[in-house]
Amino acid sequence: MLRFFAVRLLRALITIALVVTFAFIVLRVSGDPALEIMSVDAPPEAIAAFRKAWGLDAPLWIQYARYLLAILHGDLGQSMRDGREAVVVVAERIPATLELTVPALLFSLAVGIPAGVYAALQRNSRTDRAVMVAAIAGFTVPSFVFGLLLVLVFSIRLGWLPSGGIGGLGHCILPIVTLGVGGAAVLARFARGAMLEVLGQPYIRAGSARGLPWRRVIVSHALPNAAIPTLTIVGFMVGNLIAGAVLVENVFSWPGLGRLLVVSVVSRDLAVVQCILLLIAAVMIGANVTVDLLYGVLDPRIRTAPLCAGAGRC
Amino acid sequence: MLNASHEGAAPPRSAARTAIPPLVVAAVVWLALMLAIALLADVLAPYDYAALDLHHRLSPPAGLGGTVLHPLGTDELGRDVLSRLIASIRMSLLIAFEATCLGAVLGIALGLLAAHFRRWAEQIVLAFVDFQASMPFLILALAVLAFFGNSLALFIALLGLHGWERYARITRVLAISAGAQGYAIAARQLGAEPWRLYIRHVLPNIASSLIVTLTLAFPEVILLECGLSFLGLGVQPPQTSLGNMVGYGRDYLTRAPWILIAPSLVIALSTMSVCLIGDCLRDRMDKALQ
Repeated sequence: MLRFFAVRLLRALITIALVVTFAFIVLRVSGDPALEIMSVDAPPEAIAAFRKAWGLDAPLWIQYARYLLAILHGDLGQSMRDGREAVVVVAERIPATLELTVPALLFSLAVGIPAGVYAALQRNSRTDRAVMVAAIAGFTVPSFVFGLLLVLVFSIRLGWLPSGGIGGLGHCILPIVTLGVGGAAVLARFARGAMLEVLGQPYIRAGSARGLPWRRVIVSHALPNAAIPTLTIVGFMVGNLIAGAVLVENVFSWPGLGRLLVVSVVSRDLAVVQCILLLIAAVMIGANVTVDLLYGVLDPRIRTAPLCAGAGRC
Repeated sequence: MLNASHEGAAPPRSAARTAIPPLVVAAVVWLALMLAIALLADVLAPYDYAALDLHHRLSPPAGLGGTVLHPLGTDELGRDVLSRLIASIRMSLLIAFEATCLGAVLGIALGLLAAHFRRWAEQIVLAFVDFQASMPFLILALAVLAFFGNSLALFIALLGLHGWERYARITRVLAISAGAQGYAIAARQLGAEPWRLYIRHVLPNIASSLIVTLTLAFPEVILLECGLSFLGLGVQPPQTSLGNMVGYGRDYLTRAPWILIAPSLVIALSTMSVCLIGDCLRDRMDKALQ
């Protein structure tokens, strides 16, 4: 048990180190930020001064060492655009993104799981097929297309909801639905599959044979067992949710991290991009580790199984 | 007990084996149509995709008050939406096809390497797999693209990196288990070189799972391309792709929704079709992935 947790945590740490290095390589080696920020025709002295001020004149490996040291101190540098701490710039956008992603995740869970379970219980019926086709549509139609179509119908044609920006409750509805639909579709498919697999197990038949009411068999035997694999997929969905937020925030002009990321990438604001990359990596890894650990707690078989099985990835 | 459970599960499966669902047939037809359009783009397009017709700017589709000259309408520079759509289909499919192949070759090669050498080589590959799985690819791609500038070749190479880890993971597991089977041992005993063993013997035997993975990854690459192009960081004007058209049409959402609707429908229907076919293939061919 302890070994299982230790290995998971070690792998998470290695992954974080890789992400940090990746951010450094991509952001530093690819281009000269001094020229990007200062414009090409700036006087050479000014560019040299800029490089010196930001430590861009040192050899790369020294920059890398400084960068690692700074991160360990929690110092992620300043935004090159307005000189404020990158951490502050990023942190003030977090609430807006959470306002979008958390309700979207809840929406996915509330719609996806019941739909999938219901489809599984009605296997091969018309409802089942309809749910599954809707689910395929839900996760193949890109969020930005879906969002723009919603805007077209509900904002422009019907005039019921605002088409973008942040404000009252009305402003949240379209972005949340847009962001949540993909996850709901994935969950519906997955919950259906997990449920069908559990329903085929001998202990379900044993439960019915013992004369338990069908409802009772479902609620106390089938659902808890189907919940275990479904939980893993929720961990993976966090990544899709974040990537989705980048697109959805841009569709709806929502002032969150996703917008900040695209704006910072376009203007090469290294510190802010690094900060966002690290934040997202930390959230993702945290989510995956949590799910793995929870999985280990819920399902004792995992702890004794080969290492990779816990992640459900091998 | 075991027998009973087998019988219980058998009928729907064998029924599914005989008849192909009509939706899947429709999906195959749609994809064939898209492929034909991509191949015959130059013949089919009524105009050059960049040609301007300033007399017919923002003209709606034929039947909705527009002219027959531009069946799907025009954009604000008077460019024919149908011609742009055809050019976009070709561009998007081409990019997705090349990127998927690239990712598959890379992933399979790394997966085989990991399976062959085991130990540290395997651990390195697995660490990269973890890394790739730990970040939403869109975000990595955003960072790389904006910082390395944007050329079509780089864009395709970048999209090729998407999904390699899935092939690597599956190839590794399957190659390890295949390597322990009789035919692989026999080939090795007969003195086959490792690469010959893997290319001629192991790969054909694990191909079905890889093909299913490929069909599942293909729509994701299309979606990624569309998403990045939509954000203005993918295919750059004057070239056009489906996502690019959607991003551009967004600015004319109120005045000319047809610019956006046509490519949106094509994206949605194409990715849905590939997905339906992939599901069907998986149900039929592959037990390992279920």
